[in-house]
Amino acid sequence: MHEFKVLEIKKSIFASNEEQADQLRIKLKENHQFLLNLMSSPGSGKTTTLKRTIAALQDDFTIGVMEADIDSDVDAQTISKTGAKVIQLHTGGMCHLDAEMTAQGLEGLEGDDLDLIILENVGNLVCPAEFDTGSVKNAMILSVPEGDDKPLKYPLMFTICDVLLINKIDVLPYFDFDLALCMERAKALNPKIKVFPISSKTGEGMDEWVAWLRNETNTWNA
Amino acid sequence: MHELGVVMEVIKVVEQTMRENNLTQVDTIVLQIGELSSMIPHYVKDCYPACVDGTSLEKTKLEIEVLSANAMCKQCNKVYPVVINKGVCPHCSSDAKELLGGREFFIKEIVAC
Repeated sequence: MHEFKVLEIKKSIFASNEEQADQLRIKLKENHQFLLNLMSSPGSGKTTTLKRTIAALQDDFTIGVMEADIDSDVDAQTISKTGAKVIQLHTGGMCHLDAEMTAQGLEGLEGDDLDLIILENVGNLVCPAEFDTGSVKNAMILSVPEGDDKPLKYPLMFTICDVLLINKIDVLPYFDFDLALCMERAKALNPKIKVFPISSKTGEGMDEWVAWLRNETNTWNA
Repeated sequence: MHELGVVMEVIKVVEQTMRENNLTQVDTIVLQIGELSSMIPHYVKDCYPACVDGTSLEKTKLEIEVLSANAMCKQCNKVYPVVINKGVCPHCSSDAKELLGGREFFIKEIVAC
């Protein structure tokens, strides 16, 4: 008969993810690499926005993309045509990425030469907000057809993001989407959030967003 | 199902603790989960057997303690439980608050030899 004893661990599992995320940021800083975590719901236009963003910045930076999906490589194939280095991460049913998976993805990308790495997180406004990936900045896309009430429904996502891209503004006339109200709701949750209304289809508003990303990347990598 | 990845991390931490302390058998893992932690105890229990399958923790039991979420009202400085009051102070009806706890996800202890 073995004698069982109680061993106090008191270890926070979230804290261990936050530690790994901090370590990843330190490594990125040393390597002069900027990592952007891009989040949104499915169908908000992440991949199209990414394509335009890459096209606008590929003369400034060597760009890599990590495409996180539960399964499939549809997005990775689309992005690989832009000339950016791309890796597909399969989460195998998981609804978010954590810092360790992000670090593994970066290793798999074999991109020591990359200046700007964009992580296209799993399409989901809930779970990815809970887990620090180790990114330098967080951005999210909300598209017009989703509705201006989303900051009320997914407050944490709007709270943790540095940037909110409101996409598909070209269809604003056809939807009851109050742009000013949506921005007001997002700012009430997160006064520091930068909001860029864009259309990744027509390119409207993309310049401001691209300028922000260029500036943040240069500042971090300096 | 985002509990899965988190429970896998729990298994990793426990296995590491076993190695560090030369333990051979774990009888019970005790977790503490905050009411607002985004982890649902029921789902944690559901995915646990799959996570320990084929590991040295296959026969280990799982216990979960739920930690209640309390907040301090920024208006009247009183402390109240958030969930049953739906985030509104029962004393002064303000919803301005500072969360004092409830988002935790801890491995509290393990019973092992």
